[in-house]
Amino acid sequence: MKIDHSLPLEYSTEENRLKILGFWIFLGAEIMLFATLFASYFTLVDRTGSGPSGADIFEITPVLIETIVLLTSSFTIGLGVHAMRIGNKKAMLSFFAITLLLGAGFLGVEIYEFVHYAHIGAGIQTSAFTAILLTTLGTHGAHVTLGLLWGTAIILQVKKRGLTPETANKSFIFSLYWHFLDVVWIFIFSFVYLKGMM
Amino acid sequence: MSELFPRKQVMGFVFSMVLTAVALLVYFLDMSFTAGMTVLLITAFVQAGLQLVVFMHAGETDDKGSIYTNIFYGVVIALVTVFGTLLILVWDM
Amino acid sequence: MEFFERFAIPHPSPAIYASMVAIALTMVAIVAGLTYFKKWGYLWREWLTTVDHKRIGIMYLISALLMLFRGGADAIMLRAQLAVPENKLLDAQHYNEIFTTHGIVMILFMAMPFIIALMNFVVPLQIGARDVAFPRLNALSFWLFFMGAMLLNISFVVGGSPDAGWTSYFPLAGTEFSESVGSNYYMIAIQIAGIGTLMTGVNFLTTILRMRAPGMTLMKMPMFTWSVLVTNVIIVFAFPVLTVLLAMGTFDRLFATHFFTTTNGGMDMLWANLFWVWGHPEVYILILPAFGVYSEVISTFARRNLYGYKSMVASMVLISLLSFLVWTHHFFTMGQGALTNSIFSITTMAIAVPTGVKIFNWLLTLWKGKIEITTPMLYSLLFIPLFTIGGVTGVMLGMSAADYQYHNTMFLVAHFHMVIIPGVVFAMLAGLTYWWPKMFGFMLNERIGKWTAWIIGISTLVAFMPMFFSGLDGQARRMYTYSESTGYGPLNMISFIGAVGLAVGFVLIAYNVYYSVRYSPRNISADPWDARSLEWATHSPVPEYNFAIVPQVDSSEAFWDAKKKGHELFKGEYEKIHMPNNSGVPFLMSCIFFVWGFSLVFSMWIPAIAATIGILACMAHRSFEKDHGRYISVEEVEETESKLRGAS
Repeated sequence: MKIDHSLPLEYSTEENRLKILGFWIFLGAEIMLFATLFASYFTLVDRTGSGPSGADIFEITPVLIETIVLLTSSFTIGLGVHAMRIGNKKAMLSFFAITLLLGAGFLGVEIYEFVHYAHIGAGIQTSAFTAILLTTLGTHGAHVTLGLLWGTAIILQVKKRGLTPETANKSFIFSLYWHFLDVVWIFIFSFVYLKGMM
Repeated sequence: MSELFPRKQVMGFVFSMVLTAVALLVYFLDMSFTAGMTVLLITAFVQAGLQLVVFMHAGETDDKGSIYTNIFYGVVIALVTVFGTLLILVWDM
Repeated sequence: MEFFERFAIPHPSPAIYASMVAIALTMVAIVAGLTYFKKWGYLWREWLTTVDHKRIGIMYLISALLMLFRGGADAIMLRAQLAVPENKLLDAQHYNEIFTTHGIVMILFMAMPFIIALMNFVVPLQIGARDVAFPRLNALSFWLFFMGAMLLNISFVVGGSPDAGWTSYFPLAGTEFSESVGSNYYMIAIQIAGIGTLMTGVNFLTTILRMRAPGMTLMKMPMFTWSVLVTNVIIVFAFPVLTVLLAMGTFDRLFATHFFTTTNGGMDMLWANLFWVWGHPEVYILILPAFGVYSEVISTFARRNLYGYKSMVASMVLISLLSFLVWTHHFFTMGQGALTNSIFSITTMAIAVPTGVKIFNWLLTLWKGKIEITTPMLYSLLFIPLFTIGGVTGVMLGMSAADYQYHNTMFLVAHFHMVIIPGVVFAMLAGLTYWWPKMFGFMLNERIGKWTAWIIGISTLVAFMPMFFSGLDGQARRMYTYSESTGYGPLNMISFIGAVGLAVGFVLIAYNVYYSVRYSPRNISADPWDARSLEWATHSPVPEYNFAIVPQVDSSEAFWDAKKKGHELFKGEYEKIHMPNNSGVPFLMSCIFFVWGFSLVFSMWIPAIAATIGILACMAHRSFEKDHGRYISVEEVEETESKLRGAS
């Protein structure tokens, strides 16, 4: 494996560069995945049948907590990648750990939210609106959950194997994924919640 | 310690918080639907662009042409799909 | 016993019992054969665990050919049922199941893998690469596709086939009107195969964008590679739509949600809408690589460089964008307003323009060329007029006002078969014949090949031209029979004769393979067609590492220049070559996906959860494993090269 030392570790081999570009392309596909969910959401948002509408069930507090937590986690993982680039493994691991903790916090609030919806009669079977609402949120939440597992695996590997071209590459790609989830959340926050409560 | 908090990223974070606060105005102020949607569209897309450039380092390698084309293409098709679907199933049904 | 009742066929017939026995006997024969000839180890080491793009391509090819015969058998049954009025060969339910699986199998499990087979085999060679960007992912793509295809194929003996059409429109495909597990199979089998295809898209885009030989800029890529690049752009942006759509359909069927129901706000039209948001680009995913094959074949056998390279590229890029802008033309009659229909009529007609540019480019390539009629060329020459019939009737269908007359008649069926068979199937057969010597080191027999091409070409016309007329007379598609007084009888009988002709053609292909394996000379050169692009610059069959030395390129026809203008392709010394290791995980993971899918089809939650954990475990294994590939030493390269030089 040829290692190019003039580049940051995560770009230092051809294989690494391929993986980063490949992941960007995958994120392009993810844009379409969420766009399809949004297209369906906007189509079905007023089709509430006998169930509640968004304005009936949305609450600003949990949504605001989720947003701030996730935006902060996006910031901390950015700092983690920065720490990785200046070779500070300890700081990097701390920032990654903080990111995952914030992610877990987000997920906790989202689970609370889902339980609450089910409790007030907005389950997934209630109407077309609740089905697409919970599917859209759930798809994002499932991404976050997978991110938590993936991030844990990466922390373990960096801890054990140190910062190598391979582990740095994985960490960087994970950060792309995490930022992307943040972008998706911004759209959910704006066009599902705020638009619904406007 | 300060080398762990690069200015660009801190500013980016502050700016993203400001954008969130601006978006929240549509909840706290009594706006028309058009005004509210305009605010949301602007804050959401600026926020997305911010994440892309500041945090995701989209333009840092010689693949940036491919990366930006890919994202731009994705966004265009995403918008076509969303608005096309709305046209067919909601606005013109 | 109650547990097993769910696996019973809801609507059995002697033909299905006979198939069950046939399947069981085939399985026993395969297992016995492998054991008797002691081939289990060979199968595992050389095929099931391979990450070599060439072998994966060949496995795609074998699957595609098998599925061609499965889908073809369906087609013969459909046409036989319609050959005479009031026929009792099939009942309505069987007819529904057969036209549904015919569509799914032919589009998703025949045409798609055929295209991906050629992509896999040819693209890394054409760009001078050693493999694709992510060889392991490539193996996973194949096995996911394969398991998805197998899952759908067992449906007709376990639990019942889907019967709501390949478009599976709701509410018909909902639990209310489709009670059997058939539509569950549809949702989940296609989901699994679709995930594989999406990964193929990511893989090939990365490969083509980053792994081209030195000197090969984008505008110096061979046209087939260009077509694959554009196709994979479409795959990456279209397949996620299918993923979401199928997930929502699965939820409606398994978890009683209301996405597409007619109660509680559900909207069945959303299914049709999203299906075609994916479905129309899918049509271009099929046709663009076919155009790429024709471009290669026509310029090779007209002995001229391709006319209008830049306009070819521009028209493909334009088609890729337009393909996402026309989907409404599949449901002009659904009830949306005139404004929407007008917009989509215009975009639909606009897409004929870049397609027309391509047709003229091929014609101008032929103009003044020294045309040599080989089997691949014959298919290409048959394609141009036949495809034009399909294309022009497409423009007719694209006019929304007129579409109210044609919609869901046999006219439509005739149109898309006249597009897909000359467009895609001819191209795949041309490509198969063209690249066969590169794959296997001997040629397919030309005499049998040309007979086959003529039989298939004429039979296509005989089978589908009558449908244009019966369709305009009002014969609806998907109706399992008709009365004698309609007068459709003679036209349908002609179609049946054409279908038999097509079957004869496909059997001849199988015979040609058999004949050529036995009698074709093995001492052919590495470049038997006197071709123009890089894949012909290496040996036949291709060594594992493709090129001993990475080629240097400075035009879109580097190999032709090397032959005619003295351009030096291979400069420098042998070096050790880095190659990826084989892995059984993609195969294993796909097997778990099969179990996962099967469990979901029958709502068996415990095995489904167990399989989900298994899938995650495979991913975790991949994350933690250390695999840096291996090196082929210089000595080994030298040895292989001198041996192959002797052979070819």
